[in-house]
Amino acid sequence: MKTVKILLFVTISLFALLLVSCTGTARPTDGWSGATIHDSTIYVGTSDGRLIAIDAATKNRKWEYTINPPTTIYATPIVSGDLVYVGSYNGEIYALSIADGESIWVYPPKGEGYIGAVVGSPVIANGIIYTSSSDGKVYALNTTNGKPKCETDRPLADKLWTSPTVMGDNVYVSTFDGHIYTLSAEKLKLLDWSFKSEAGFASSPVICEDTDTIFLGSFDRHLYAVKIGSNISAWRFPPERPAGNWFWASPIVNEGIVYAGCLDGRLYAIDATTGEEIWSYLTEDENGKPSPIVSSPVLMDDLLIAVNESGTVNVFDLAGALANEGVPLWTASIGADVRSSFCAQEGLVYIRGEDNQLYIVDIDNRQVSQSISLTVEA
Amino acid sequence: MTFVEIWQLIIANPVLNVLVALSQFLFGQFGLAIIALTIIVRLISWPLTRRQLKSSKAMQDMQPKLQELQKKYGKNKPKLQQEMMKLYKEAGINPLGCLWPMLIQFPIWIALYQAIMSALATTPGNLLNLAQRLYSWEIVNQAIPLSSQFLGLDLGQTALEAGGLGLLLAIIVGGTMWVQQKMTAAPSVDPRQESTQRMMTLMMPLMFGFFTLMFPSGLALYWAVSNIIGIITQYFVTGGWGYLKFRSPFSQR
Repeated sequence: MKTVKILLFVTISLFALLLVSCTGTARPTDGWSGATIHDSTIYVGTSDGRLIAIDAATKNRKWEYTINPPTTIYATPIVSGDLVYVGSYNGEIYALSIADGESIWVYPPKGEGYIGAVVGSPVIANGIIYTSSSDGKVYALNTTNGKPKCETDRPLADKLWTSPTVMGDNVYVSTFDGHIYTLSAEKLKLLDWSFKSEAGFASSPVICEDTDTIFLGSFDRHLYAVKIGSNISAWRFPPERPAGNWFWASPIVNEGIVYAGCLDGRLYAIDATTGEEIWSYLTEDENGKPSPIVSSPVLMDDLLIAVNESGTVNVFDLAGALANEGVPLWTASIGADVRSSFCAQEGLVYIRGEDNQLYIVDIDNRQVSQSISLTVEA
Repeated sequence: MTFVEIWQLIIANPVLNVLVALSQFLFGQFGLAIIALTIIVRLISWPLTRRQLKSSKAMQDMQPKLQELQKKYGKNKPKLQQEMMKLYKEAGINPLGCLWPMLIQFPIWIALYQAIMSALATTPGNLLNLAQRLYSWEIVNQAIPLSSQFLGLDLGQTALEAGGLGLLLAIIVGGTMWVQQKMTAAPSVDPRQESTQRMMTLMMPLMFGFFTLMFPSGLALYWAVSNIIGIITQYFVTGGWGYLKFRSPFSQR
């Protein structure tokens, strides 16, 4: 019996060890802050809580700012005027000088606590920065001094990980429990119109102002088009059988066509009016296996650029002979995983890889022209 | 295929998807889904549990004979062990039988731990990773993302993080495990073995109480419900509280 009990004790101990070693107790919080470009400077957040400014011409680091205490960054920086803004996962909004990275203000001010974790990128309109937060609220701050202007009366959901979208006097927010809420941009008061779907919305709302239509992806593996003011969706894509996975990335709309990346690895081109598929293209990794599209596609002139999680850059010519075929002009791999949003300007695409490198893809030469380390400088 | 891929395909992903689907069935309550899954696991392991309980009952009935052997061969340990094994064999009892239900539940515990952490997706990265592990069932995708709140507890938090309620959960897990252990632990005829056994009966609940503080409350909820079901089953199958009220003759000395 003694042997049995010892065996039991050893087994239980091994179980505990196995539990920890198999799964790990640490909760990964590797942010996927993306890159943005403004006036020949690239701003990019890092997973270890730094915001870095890089000169686009020389590729030299202009400055870097470390969030204190260091915390990961999911939100992509945004520039307005002389300041660059970024939200951190510990629930702070930072405004830094674009000239030297000096901290101009932090909200909430240091020593006054935190709002919920900021995951969705803040947006700026009319001198106000709007940010959603994991406490379920939306906050509006003065861009100049960071003074709070207003916040929602109550949490709109358990947590808000999507970005708000501002159009005119209204702010639109999508939630994980399947709501689209309208708030007044002035006071962040809930307005009459809201929309409820059976499944939660995974992506931020994207609005086509010409048609007053909101496009957004859902956890039920459909992309929805919702006319503002309507209680039923204009269409959902695919209409019947769902796609292969969630529509996680926000779609983009261009000339009546919605381009939506899906976690099933496909990039879909959908008629914005009817919701009919125009074409779809299955993106792959270097081994030919489908790879999810986590980042929103980006337009640069007539080129549509989609990058999948495995780091394959797919470039489509929307004006050329293959425009309606869904065949990329070319593809190239950066050799690193990508979950961040990326930006493109003057023939160059700037992509932050999960390996903490900023990759620059030259559209003309169809290859990675340079990679810049984002690790801490000695 | 790697071991991790096989593990996910055969055990982890089915547990995860069943848990998420159950949550949607049960009014979006993840806690109720964990309780329902516990009952399912208990039903699946019922043949083994019944065997263990019968073995336990037989051991209980055999106590007078074991004590006789103790008196007879008390000073001759090898002979005593030999005679005890002979007695077990004649009665058709496997002393190791009580281990199987617990061992069989280990993969379920690990899968459940992973399922709870994955399903609750406490970080954006976890939520994104979850997408690749869910089946295309409509009910599963409509349930995402899950709410972690249940009876005032955040099931994704450790009991330590949860404060008072978490501590209460740790006490329930440890307490119910102690009762269950006491009900099944047949007293030994050897004073030294009896002492080891007493230590184990105390240590196991303490260990699980400690685990409860360190692991997500969802897993602790599984342990607590599983123990309570175990106690009820045991009570009705063996017809009483077993050895719970038994006082060892050695402890009286």
